[in-house]
Amino acid sequence: MAQLFTPRADAIFRFVLLVVGVGIVAALLVVGGIAHSGYFSGVDTIAQQPVPFSHKHHAGELGIDCRYCHTTVEIAATAGMPPTWTCMTCHSQVWAGAPMLAPVRQSLADDRPLQWVRVSQLPSYVYFDHSIHIAKGIGCSSCHGRIDRMQLTYPVHAFSMSFCLNCHRAPQDFVRPKKEIFNMAWHPPADQARIGRALAQQYHIDQKVGRLTDCSICHR
Amino acid sequence: MKAAPLDLAVLRARLAAQPGRPFWRSLEEAADTEEFRAYLAAEFPACSLPAPAPDRRRFLQLMAASLAMSGLAACGRGGGNSRIVPNVRESQRLVPGLPTYYASAALLDGFANGIQVTTFDGRPVKVEGNEAHPWSRGGTDVFAQASVLQLYDPDRSQTVRRLGRISDWQTFGGVMAGHVAAIRAEHGRGLRLLTGPVTSPSLAAQIEALRTDFPEMHWHVLETVPRAAVRDAATTAFGRPLESIPRFDRAEVVVALDADFLDQGPQQVGLARRWSDARRASLATGRLLVLHAAAPSPTLTSAKADFPVVASSRGMAALADGLLADIAAGSSAAPGTDPASQWRARAAAALHAARGRGIVVAGAAQPAAVHLAAHRINAALGNTGTTVLHLTPATAPAEPIESLVAAMAAGAVSAVLMFDTNPVYTAPADLDFSAALARVPLKIHAGLHVDETANAADWHLPLSHPLEAWGDARAFDGTISMQQPTIMPLYDTRSAGELLSVIFEPASRSGLAILQDFWRGSRSAAAFFPGWDQSLRDGFIPGSAFPAETVRTPPAAAASALARTTGDLDLLIRPDPSVWDGSFANVGWLQELPKPLTKMTWDNLVAISPRTAERLHLDNGEIVEIVAGPRRTQGPVWITPGQADDAATITLGYGRGSAGSVADGVGFDAYALRTAASPWISSGVVLRRHGGRTPLATTQLHSTMEGHDFVRIQPLGAPPVGDNTAFTQPSFYPRLQTDGRSWGMVIDTDACIGCNACVVACQSENNIPVVGREQMLAARGMHWLRVDRYYGGPLDDPQTHFMPVPCMMCEQAPCEVACPVEATVHDHEGLNLMVYNRCVGTRACSGYCPYKVRRFNFHDYSAGAEPSLQAQRNPDVTVRAGGVMEKCTYCVQRIAAARVEADQAGRPIRDGEVRTACQQACPTRAITFGDLADRGSAVAHAFADPRNYALLGELNTRPHTTYLATLAPAAPPKPEG
Repeated sequence: MAQLFTPRADAIFRFVLLVVGVGIVAALLVVGGIAHSGYFSGVDTIAQQPVPFSHKHHAGELGIDCRYCHTTVEIAATAGMPPTWTCMTCHSQVWAGAPMLAPVRQSLADDRPLQWVRVSQLPSYVYFDHSIHIAKGIGCSSCHGRIDRMQLTYPVHAFSMSFCLNCHRAPQDFVRPKKEIFNMAWHPPADQARIGRALAQQYHIDQKVGRLTDCSICHR
Repeated sequence: MKAAPLDLAVLRARLAAQPGRPFWRSLEEAADTEEFRAYLAAEFPACSLPAPAPDRRRFLQLMAASLAMSGLAACGRGGGNSRIVPNVRESQRLVPGLPTYYASAALLDGFANGIQVTTFDGRPVKVEGNEAHPWSRGGTDVFAQASVLQLYDPDRSQTVRRLGRISDWQTFGGVMAGHVAAIRAEHGRGLRLLTGPVTSPSLAAQIEALRTDFPEMHWHVLETVPRAAVRDAATTAFGRPLESIPRFDRAEVVVALDADFLDQGPQQVGLARRWSDARRASLATGRLLVLHAAAPSPTLTSAKADFPVVASSRGMAALADGLLADIAAGSSAAPGTDPASQWRARAAAALHAARGRGIVVAGAAQPAAVHLAAHRINAALGNTGTTVLHLTPATAPAEPIESLVAAMAAGAVSAVLMFDTNPVYTAPADLDFSAALARVPLKIHAGLHVDETANAADWHLPLSHPLEAWGDARAFDGTISMQQPTIMPLYDTRSAGELLSVIFEPASRSGLAILQDFWRGSRSAAAFFPGWDQSLRDGFIPGSAFPAETVRTPPAAAASALARTTGDLDLLIRPDPSVWDGSFANVGWLQELPKPLTKMTWDNLVAISPRTAERLHLDNGEIVEIVAGPRRTQGPVWITPGQADDAATITLGYGRGSAGSVADGVGFDAYALRTAASPWISSGVVLRRHGGRTPLATTQLHSTMEGHDFVRIQPLGAPPVGDNTAFTQPSFYPRLQTDGRSWGMVIDTDACIGCNACVVACQSENNIPVVGREQMLAARGMHWLRVDRYYGGPLDDPQTHFMPVPCMMCEQAPCEVACPVEATVHDHEGLNLMVYNRCVGTRACSGYCPYKVRRFNFHDYSAGAEPSLQAQRNPDVTVRAGGVMEKCTYCVQRIAAARVEADQAGRPIRDGEVRTACQQACPTRAITFGDLADRGSAVAHAFADPRNYALLGELNTRPHTTYLATLAPAAPPKPEG
């Protein structure tokens, strides 16, 4: 009886097994990579806005305080987006006829709001509150990055649960003195380990039982 | 449930044979039939399958698909197309995302209760009680809680209609100008106003001004829940129509003759609070405020009585007269052996013993004769003026509807303007309102809905909802309550005052102008506005309650035995505890609200006693024809313990023809059996088996007690029935670590009157969906908080107990062990959390939960809601999707808000700073909530009360929700003789 399989069959079979195995791993890596890439998370992606607003110019070069526009960041869950009137306080005098600002003038004339594309998005089941983070010594740049250097605004972190937990598990690594909160250039000092713990204590941040990682802190 | 007729005789014998006070939830459970066991096994909420169950192939397909999709859910693009839309101009007062509160008034039958409306971004989302309001004192009723859903009702009338076709206010104004000129030339002859009860001083003044303008105009009021008997009796007794207000705080004994002071109605919130406050205070003094109640049909008041008795409907007047005779004689005649006369002797003895510290009170449903007897007893005992005060009625006097119908039928009416009333549906059937109305040349109707009357009118005008209009109204005690809009009108609507202005005034005024003009009078702006602003902020005008009137001693008169035709049965007609007179029929929350005593949803019933059921061979759900003289209707029978044998009770508000998509076709119309002369009762009624039965969506069968005694009674002076054994048992599990806080709730079952305000408040606060009749039949109601009702004692004369059951927040929670994905876990403040976005819907947690407080969202009930209904949702609470388990969270969103506020200020959360929705709504303050770890907190004090006990504490779940046992008088005073 002739052999059913040629001598090469075994090698082919092993090769196929290897290809399938490697293929599965590669596919998982690719899918995972895409899922965590900026394509899905939106990190480093610039969205088309009605007006090409530059934080670099306003916050960085002109030095306008964050809270001039984001007025409710210290009192409410949302930081607040400036009404058209806030833009026009300056731009009725400065660059009053710039074509780039036509949508802003149009918004005021028509009494129709500007519609900005959201840059930092959280899932609907996360209840994030800006005010408490400010009160507990978390600065803008910890989540939003160097906004003051962004010509056009883009997210620098994917706001995934692991990103939030990173800090909620070890708040002492991220808390800053109150006066540094709106300082975009703040970097943890060399002795952050010591300062952070003292600050966390001063801010009454729980460091013992893990209160900050309770589900109810963010989800309801 | 399968049609298995109950053997009531066997059941009665079984209950009688049990020693002590057996407690039972339903007739079926007490009978413990095979069928009931089978029903529970098949329909137990935790175990039921989605119907119809898919076959194996389909099941595998679904499983494969859901596995394949499971990863994709996480793959949404972060930024997406979500937009941020800021204002063009900054609002000075509103901060996006932060709540704004307005003091206002909720109306029931024209009467006000003080409320505080929470709005987010200009949308009212929740009604709370106004703590400062002198009448309602922070409590609310179900109607106030549900009014926010009524505001957003997509079926609300949105446009002016002329003969059913869409028109507009301008056309209406133009047409009316000519009519008004003609009416003016005739001094208003032929013009009639028909309204609901009016307590609003400004609206009454507007109508008064109209009467000056049109001297021959008539104003009629249609009371669907008439208080005529109260006024008539007071007129006979004191010479003028007066309302009686009991002062429970000065009393030791209350005798209620079918009284309704704890029942749904404009008096409920204020009187229930005064009752529970006085009862608590009396406990401290050691002399418990005792309630004796006789009622032919069970009410919340009779349910809370220490000494209830089922009184025959026909015998109520005789019972009252007998009590009066006992009091007058100074001692009672030797009591008979029947429960009613023994009750009478006991009540008379108690009243005697507490001269000047007793209250005899009758309900609005009782005829004037019973009220008169109550007045005489109170006068004889020196109670009048001390424990019973008499006040001017808050409603403005007007003519009744009978004279309007007579005039219309005679052709003497040329124009009728109807607002805030729906007479085609609610007028007594014997008046034949529709036929008379058809003879009127100009019929104008204004209302919230295009209802039955709107369809019969020439013009229909959309009325503004109280939450979107300016106005004022008096509370039951006369306190003037200000009503301010919490949102711009959703549609082009007018308030009642604006409507009169549009029609009759040369230049129509806004609601605000009308109100300010009235209250300002001739005062200067400087003198007026500070007080005005303050009253808007407060929601009421301080000190505006009516003063107590000094009344004469009622003249003695011969006992007025009522002439009654003998017949088979009396038919008692009562407002419905859930939908009232039908004006709330299209509110889904109220339709799905289990009625306090029958636990019925989506239906009204013909309540009969167990003996009547045996006599007529009727069973639960069987359809009977009710024959009341020439009028008849059909409805399902419900065997109701506590019902008199000579009476059947039906409730109003159902059988709507044109109310909206929720209410149409639900239940039967009780108005069809109502007569103008006797709106509360029809004698000589016959019940006939009609054949067929209807499945009834009652929630009382949804679980069983399995032999546990959940209700505990604490007789005064007896050893404490409460215990803390639930918290001292050994356990293998490690104790929970806390951050120093431990949230807990204590519910005082003695204060709970079963009114359901907490249930609707919870539904409103937590975005709980309405599931509909079919789903309720399948035991899939979504209420996070239920009020269990237990009966104790014999079948025909039971005691009734209420027990609100939210999540117990077990420290050692069985549900947490069950969850394979850790979607339900504990946090460090003692909360048992439910993480919706983690839940995969195994329902194992519900199976493990011994309290059955978890609810599974079978069909994505919240999806596809009308946009206007979506506007009601609380933005701080997740709208749960299908396939997710949900449950009470102790209003974790409120805890989070308080924590953020306290943390910002660098202080601990104060006791009383977090109030759950149920706690806030409760008119009797039965619910205490707070930090159990804080020894000084109110909840810790309540927890330390000797009456405190845990539900199923022996399971070692260490629940954070505990109960205070119901109080009972020490030893029942022996009847004399």
